[in-house]
Amino acid sequence: MSEGLSRRSFLKIASAAGAAAAIPGCEPVGRELIPYVVPDENVIPGVPSFYATVCSECSAGCGVIARVREGRVIKLEGNPKDPISLGRLCARGQAALQGLYNPDRLAHPFVRRDDGRLRRVSWDVATRELLGRLETAAKAGKDRVAYLARPQGPTFDKVAKTWLSAWNSTKAVFWEPLARPVARQAAQECFGRSDVPVYHLDQAEALISFGADFNETWESPVEMARQYAAFRAPKERRGKLSIGRSAYVGPRMNVTAAKCDEWIAVKPGHEAAIAMSVLYVLVRQGWVSPNSGFDIGTLKSFVQGYEPDTISQQTGVPAEAIVRMGQMFGQAEGAVALAGTDDKETHVAAFILNAVTGNLGKTVVFLEDAPASPYSPQADVDGLIQAMSQKQLDVLVVSGVNPVYSMPPAAKFNDALRQVPLVVWCGLVPDETAEHAHLLLPVHHPLEAWRDIAPRAGVNGIGQPVMQPVFESRDLGDLMLTTARAASADSKTVPWESMADAVNASFQAIQKQIGDKNKPEDFFAQALRDGGVYAEAKAVEVKFNASVFQNKPKPPGAGPDLALAVYPHLFLYDGRGADKPWLQETPEPVDQIVWDSWASVHPETAKTLGISSEEVIEIQTDQGMAALPALITEHVRPGVIAVPLGQGHSAYGRYAKGRGVNGFSLLAPGALSATVKVRATGAKGQLVTPLFSEDMMGRNIVEAMSIEDLARGVAPEREKAPGPYEMYSAFKYPTHKWGMTIDVNACVGCSACVAACYAENNLAFVGKDGVASGRIMSWMRIERYAPPKDQADKAPLLYITPMLCQQCSHAPCEPVCPVFAAYHTQEGINGQNYNRCVGTRYCENNCPYKVRRFNWYKPEWPAPLHLQLNPDVTVRGAGVMEKCTFCIQRIVYAEINAKTENRPLRDGETVPACAQTCPTNAITFGDQNDPQSEMMRRRKDNELRAYRVLNAEFNTLPSITYLRELYHEKGRA
Amino acid sequence: MNRILIPVALATFVGGLTVLAFSQRPWAPRQDVEQPIPFSHRIHAGVNKIPCQYCHEYARRSQTSGVPPVQRCVGCHGDALVGGLQPVTRPWTDHAQPPFEIRWNRVYTLPDFVKFTHQPHIWAGVACQECHGPVETMDRVEPVHEINMGFCLSCHEKRGATQDCFVCHH
Repeated sequence: MSEGLSRRSFLKIASAAGAAAAIPGCEPVGRELIPYVVPDENVIPGVPSFYATVCSECSAGCGVIARVREGRVIKLEGNPKDPISLGRLCARGQAALQGLYNPDRLAHPFVRRDDGRLRRVSWDVATRELLGRLETAAKAGKDRVAYLARPQGPTFDKVAKTWLSAWNSTKAVFWEPLARPVARQAAQECFGRSDVPVYHLDQAEALISFGADFNETWESPVEMARQYAAFRAPKERRGKLSIGRSAYVGPRMNVTAAKCDEWIAVKPGHEAAIAMSVLYVLVRQGWVSPNSGFDIGTLKSFVQGYEPDTISQQTGVPAEAIVRMGQMFGQAEGAVALAGTDDKETHVAAFILNAVTGNLGKTVVFLEDAPASPYSPQADVDGLIQAMSQKQLDVLVVSGVNPVYSMPPAAKFNDALRQVPLVVWCGLVPDETAEHAHLLLPVHHPLEAWRDIAPRAGVNGIGQPVMQPVFESRDLGDLMLTTARAASADSKTVPWESMADAVNASFQAIQKQIGDKNKPEDFFAQALRDGGVYAEAKAVEVKFNASVFQNKPKPPGAGPDLALAVYPHLFLYDGRGADKPWLQETPEPVDQIVWDSWASVHPETAKTLGISSEEVIEIQTDQGMAALPALITEHVRPGVIAVPLGQGHSAYGRYAKGRGVNGFSLLAPGALSATVKVRATGAKGQLVTPLFSEDMMGRNIVEAMSIEDLARGVAPEREKAPGPYEMYSAFKYPTHKWGMTIDVNACVGCSACVAACYAENNLAFVGKDGVASGRIMSWMRIERYAPPKDQADKAPLLYITPMLCQQCSHAPCEPVCPVFAAYHTQEGINGQNYNRCVGTRYCENNCPYKVRRFNWYKPEWPAPLHLQLNPDVTVRGAGVMEKCTFCIQRIVYAEINAKTENRPLRDGETVPACAQTCPTNAITFGDQNDPQSEMMRRRKDNELRAYRVLNAEFNTLPSITYLRELYHEKGRA
Repeated sequence: MNRILIPVALATFVGGLTVLAFSQRPWAPRQDVEQPIPFSHRIHAGVNKIPCQYCHEYARRSQTSGVPPVQRCVGCHGDALVGGLQPVTRPWTDHAQPPFEIRWNRVYTLPDFVKFTHQPHIWAGVACQECHGPVETMDRVEPVHEINMGFCLSCHEKRGATQDCFVCHH
């Protein structure tokens, strides 16, 4: 400091540097304006474009509309024209964007060097390498090239087969871990059909689910949740106001079970016996439908040995419960039994239950021209593994599946994989299988590629690319077509040039089939606009195959003392969701755990085994061993350890890697349960939940009433808000006063709203440690409470409700803000000015609903996750409070459009992201100033059920009115 | 020693912070912004009376008014017009060249927490000049008004438009 730099100038520089460092976030944004050279006539910068495409997250095949801003997709919403989604989407569908923009996606092709490390290569080199190996393999003999993948639509799968045939092979294996082949086997056995039926829960009065998590992961969750909400909605049935009666039979009370009247806790594997026993009750009581054509004598001998008392002794399920289910099922006009277990017997028994009560063609419908199973039979999978291990394969291409992670250990897939000289992995985020691959090819996300889907008869969806590829990826379909064309001399064997071409050809065939007279290009353009071609599928009459009754299922026996039940995670499913932070951070609605896997243990079992809360336990099955923290909860049957699938990745990107355990490693092939030994290790694990308490402590956070009371017109007595204590004159709302009506009875807890809110409002994720410190950023959450034990007869199984800012008219948050950042808008919203907020957190402290969120961290979206950010919503920095805004940007957008067109805003024109995506339409949004709005009408029509959360305690006058959950009082008809 | 140095250092730091915070408003309109080509608004909008929205075509439909695509320039300055935009038109006649892009420099910027949109202002009949000044008299565009919240609100007040924070800050 002595030479040339005086103290004065040092201090000057230091203060300037300090000041510059102290005002981050003030760096000017892009200083350049770069116009289009030639503008795209369909793109207006600043105005979203919408493209219809399909969701590829699961096999349900929902149609979606992608909202695209400046060439990048920022939000997915259901396609209202699609009969499966009807404009709604689940949490996993919402989070598909984080698969597209995942920062860990493979960005370039890689080749594994001899030392095991990856070398980046160009696409040319990668393609040449692949072509060379394929040609050698094709010359070496038949079936030396194989393709192992998830079904990715009829056209794609056809392209894959064509590609294989160019290499002298037919070894295309379509597989995924939770494909539930037993459902199709049961349909084959009972009806001689290879397809599964569609269900109409809304046509039923009674429902029994044997392990089918229909509101979560079973078959088509969005559609099922919608139907279930209709089933549970109060309506006149046989001259009486009633709701559907439902029971869930399974080892764990998941959110599906929690929304049923009864949860029959059984050990895994006992579902079939319960179903048979219910059938016994039906047969004995003469509730077999006379039109069903069943011979009572045959049935009687079939159910012999399944007396409720006997089954009760074997399974521990009270006989009365079985009789009650039989009564409910047999006396209903329209009933439906669903099966979701891993054994065929349950599925067969469920089909029989539906058949004998005359519900085939009513609640359970088989459709004409139903597409065949897209999955290969298990024998093909086994054959492939065998061929691999016997070195009969030269090239294996894996796409869309992660067999190293999700094949059971007994399948010995890993050993077999080592015997394949060239494993080509084609995918997004490199997973465990990619770790064993020799050539890694980055392929397009389905949102970047051409696809089609045919999830059921009459539904043909088109998946069109909605944006340019994010990475240097190529579409696998295109790659297969170009390589196949390079190999074959004449173009007849490979008639398509690209996937776009192939999809177009498929739709020309569909046009011919349905006899559409338009020009083919017009037909295709219309189909693209609509998201597909949707036609009414004809129901087909099926005959029950009486030979089923000859194979009587074995009696269940007592089962193991301690059983393991593994179930697909609502968000992570079979593990594919684990790379998406939104899905990791959304709490599983019943156990409310985030970023981890956990073993649910009943308190009694925990006592016997000496397990304390969150203690790490070692689970040992004959297949493998895993150690994970125990969650002591009554939401699991005593004697059962329940573990979700989805975690336990050793690769698959930064968000998935190294958390929890892999449930597949404990299971035998095809099974989801096992006999288990458990040892408490004494080590303390950490399970993280944003949930405060299981108990509402006598406050009316979620309210419920019995359907009997509703039918009588008796509303439960409520405390009146004290007051009026008006300290200030009331607000005036000259134009609109936004509000919501939330039907708690319709909410199934699927958390689609939570994910939609993350997507729409640029919510940051904070990770496991952040949630542990109570810093979760979700503006909206699914709260769940357990009813007190002594009131269980007069309460639903669980209280489940969406909780978000109540936009109070007497908001406790507003007057405490020293800088007027929290203020009341003219349209009745509790506004939050991010740029004015200084972060005192007084508002958060004063909010009785705990829905304000403080940014403890500078939010980070590692590139290119940031490309998903909604440009209409400010990205909040550290030190700023934020909260639900009723999606003000969507309101402003609609208001400006209305103003431009010089007309008043229409009801239903402004829909927040949560209400938009709710599969059951539990959330309605509208103007409280307009009594004719759908939202206000819903309030008025359900006046007896209306309540406002904590209004009696605080006189907050929320803008959200909830409608009470409905339940059947136990022991009352 | 410390009794003097610490307060002085503190005062200098706080002073520096204040000065910087007030002088450096990165989103304030900038004077003397050089543009890559000598484009004159005076000749286009003033002399030739080309309406603003002929080039800034998105203003009535979008948040952003839009910078005209190069194609729009070429619409008039085709190669038939002598002395037109040579560097602009060349790529259109010479296909060997990569597409030409003009990197204009911004004059007006708004921070991320201001969600201004042109559309309703155009439909409410606000003339472009009310905010941007007499652009048709300027060879090189220079800001006339500083677009800050006071400027916005004074007009909103005068016209009886909304003064709800949430309309722009969300």
